[in-house]
Amino acid sequence: MGTPEHKEYAAFEEKVRRTVYIDNLSTQVTEVVLKTALGQFGNVTNVQFIPNYTELRNIPQHALVEMETVKQAKSIVLEMTNYPFMMSGMPRPVRGRAAEMEMFGDRPIKPGRKIQCRWVGPQDPDFEVAKNLKRLTRRHAAEASSMLNHQLEDEEKLSKQQAEALKANYKKFEMIESIRLDGTLGRLARQYGFNVKDD
Amino acid sequence: MPAMACSEEAAKLENYEFKWGKKRGVGGKKKDIQFYESFTYDGVDYFLYDCVYLHKEGEPEPFIGKLVKIWEQPDHKKKVKVLWFFYPVEILNWLGDDVPLENELFLASGEGVGLANVNSLEVIAGKCNVICTSKDSRNPHPSEEELEMADYIFYRTFDVQQCTILDKIDEKVAGVEVRFIFNRKEDHKSSDIPKLDAVRNEKNGNTVAINEAPQLLSELNSSGELKNITTDYKFRHSVIKEDADAKDSLVKQEPLLGEKLASGTDAQLNQTATTDFKQQHVSDGKTKPRHKYDSDEDEGKAGKKPINQVEDNKKLKSGRDLGALDNRSSKKARLDSSARSSEEPEPNISSLSALDKDRNNNSILKKLRGDSDEDKTKFRLVKDSLGLEKDASKKVKSDEKASKLSNGTLHKAAAAHAPEKDFGSDGPELEVARRPDAPWEERMQTAHEQGTLVLLENLDPAYTSAEVEDIVWHGFREYCTAKVVQRTAISSPHSGQAFVIFKTLEAAEMMIRKLDEGCLMLPNGRPLVGSRGTYPRLLGKQSTFAGHLFIDKVKFQMQREEMKRAVSTSHCSQPNTIEYEMAMEWSLLQARSDSWWKKLYKQHGEELRKHKANLKSK
Repeated sequence: MGTPEHKEYAAFEEKVRRTVYIDNLSTQVTEVVLKTALGQFGNVTNVQFIPNYTELRNIPQHALVEMETVKQAKSIVLEMTNYPFMMSGMPRPVRGRAAEMEMFGDRPIKPGRKIQCRWVGPQDPDFEVAKNLKRLTRRHAAEASSMLNHQLEDEEKLSKQQAEALKANYKKFEMIESIRLDGTLGRLARQYGFNVKDD
Repeated sequence: MPAMACSEEAAKLENYEFKWGKKRGVGGKKKDIQFYESFTYDGVDYFLYDCVYLHKEGEPEPFIGKLVKIWEQPDHKKKVKVLWFFYPVEILNWLGDDVPLENELFLASGEGVGLANVNSLEVIAGKCNVICTSKDSRNPHPSEEELEMADYIFYRTFDVQQCTILDKIDEKVAGVEVRFIFNRKEDHKSSDIPKLDAVRNEKNGNTVAINEAPQLLSELNSSGELKNITTDYKFRHSVIKEDADAKDSLVKQEPLLGEKLASGTDAQLNQTATTDFKQQHVSDGKTKPRHKYDSDEDEGKAGKKPINQVEDNKKLKSGRDLGALDNRSSKKARLDSSARSSEEPEPNISSLSALDKDRNNNSILKKLRGDSDEDKTKFRLVKDSLGLEKDASKKVKSDEKASKLSNGTLHKAAAAHAPEKDFGSDGPELEVARRPDAPWEERMQTAHEQGTLVLLENLDPAYTSAEVEDIVWHGFREYCTAKVVQRTAISSPHSGQAFVIFKTLEAAEMMIRKLDEGCLMLPNGRPLVGSRGTYPRLLGKQSTFAGHLFIDKVKFQMQREEMKRAVSTSHCSQPNTIEYEMAMEWSLLQARSDSWWKKLYKQHGEELRKHKANLKSK
């Protein structure tokens, strides 16, 4: 445990525990927004957005928010799991979960890890298997991509649906408001002997 | 015996403290105050308008000021008037959002308390190299080397009366004409190497050839007069300065030394040898070593002395001597934290060790020539001198504290103190100067346009960017820059991805082809997959975000403050609102998609396992 590499890695592990991974973030969320939003749970020491290099379209943002203590990070995850948490808009909540090491682009090398690689030629008995594995990897990536598409479509659908619902609700609200404003409500109340005055 | 000699030397140094230089005029009511233009204090020459460190008891950081008046009072008290510089921290309250440069100072200006002070001359703790980087046309622009050598720079002033920061420097500051505030013209002249060399050669009237110079030194060493070098050290600077006929500071001398190492080596060697030799006579004959050039003929004699073979033990001796030298100088420097004190010995070490090395190996100087960075040259030389003899390095180490302040690299060099280390293998030190890379996005975009961007898949997700670079090097013998794709909630736990940028299109294409035709197996049965990478060209940030709803009418009517805040601030939904209800729908969708991903990746994992089971070798 004494070597600098070990120490660096241990420090990194500790940092990971202090960090919350947050996704479903609007593209408008900035570092400042995140800092103020999570500042109520403790001291935000660092915010880092995970850049999207693989998807060729706009997807919700992901960010890593480093807190001062592990406890603060845990309380954020708990809070966000138990209650829908809004950031820069409604009603889609953001989501928090514990960060993982692989989420950090600048992670240190795990001490003692050795990587061995070898070329497998066509004569090698494993060649075909390896080829299949490569094909499989590609297929899986394609599947994941279509899965993401599917998810984005669903989100879009829900968003539209909710927008409709909201519109309908707002229409109802407007109707009620208008009969109150033009005196219809007052007349009806008098007719039926109700008291509708705001006290 | 050597110990005794040393203590004697030390005593001499202690006693020798001060000497007035050029007179300037008299003043005061009775004309009993004598003004001076220069003085020598503790072995350092100070001139009017030099910048100096001033030490105050209890202050961790020395003050920095400019000498604007130097005089002696009738009661023989020596006084200096100092125009102050401010550290940024001292005027933090008035800086506002301005972030000053790391080594920036602010010159005091205006009138009032804090502009200038009269101090006892004894509080001066060393010279400070402050360069003016003002764009003012009256200011002679500093050269790159000068900037690099500068302890501090300034281009703004702080008005002590109005507490404002000004970009302009007035005609007069504290009664001092602005031309004395700016960089001096002489500085420029003196940094002109050929001219300097010419001057020196003229003065000496005798050029000792490059090969003879080391012999001079070895002469000194072998004839048992090592201690002379020690005495010499103290005055070397002053001698050098007179040689050069330059009025600039000691610090100024450093780039010269460095440059000379790089270009005109013979001048350097000549100078060192000359001063050494001269000093021998000085300590023999005179008590006041600051003498004129009466030793031209001695020098000539020295040059004619028979060539001695230099033996190893002599070299060691000189190495030890270096250490002693250094040690002494650090002891002598009264202010440990002063960067000056540590810089002082460096040129000497470098020149001496250059001589030492030269005896054995001329090629080192050749190598030095190729090195444009003088600083580094110097530090490497220091390192070399450490390598000469461990004794020396031990002593040099005692100086480390001061050295570190002046530059971290030296500290490193001293700490590393690897004997016999060659210049070429100084790997870690090179990293210090590693240039910052362009932002990754930019590089990725250009790489994408040039076709040098490759996307690697099926890596172990735990691999780091550096490890990916290593894999590419071992697999393809190509250098590249890699960046792993950071995992998100929807990334595959089976296949890590990384973007790799190659230097050439050929390399990128070769890699993709090789990966396609053959299979590079990584541990745990992972054949690497490579494909042409694309840079996601996003059309700016979307203004709308699926799931963030607005009621169109309300959006524009939102006048009431609370309503605005309710949307813009982050909050937890309350269960009795429509927002909460809709949020629940979102949570449901999120949970659903989570389970899809989980299922998908579980299935992927199973498929992979089945295939991997067919592998003959693990």
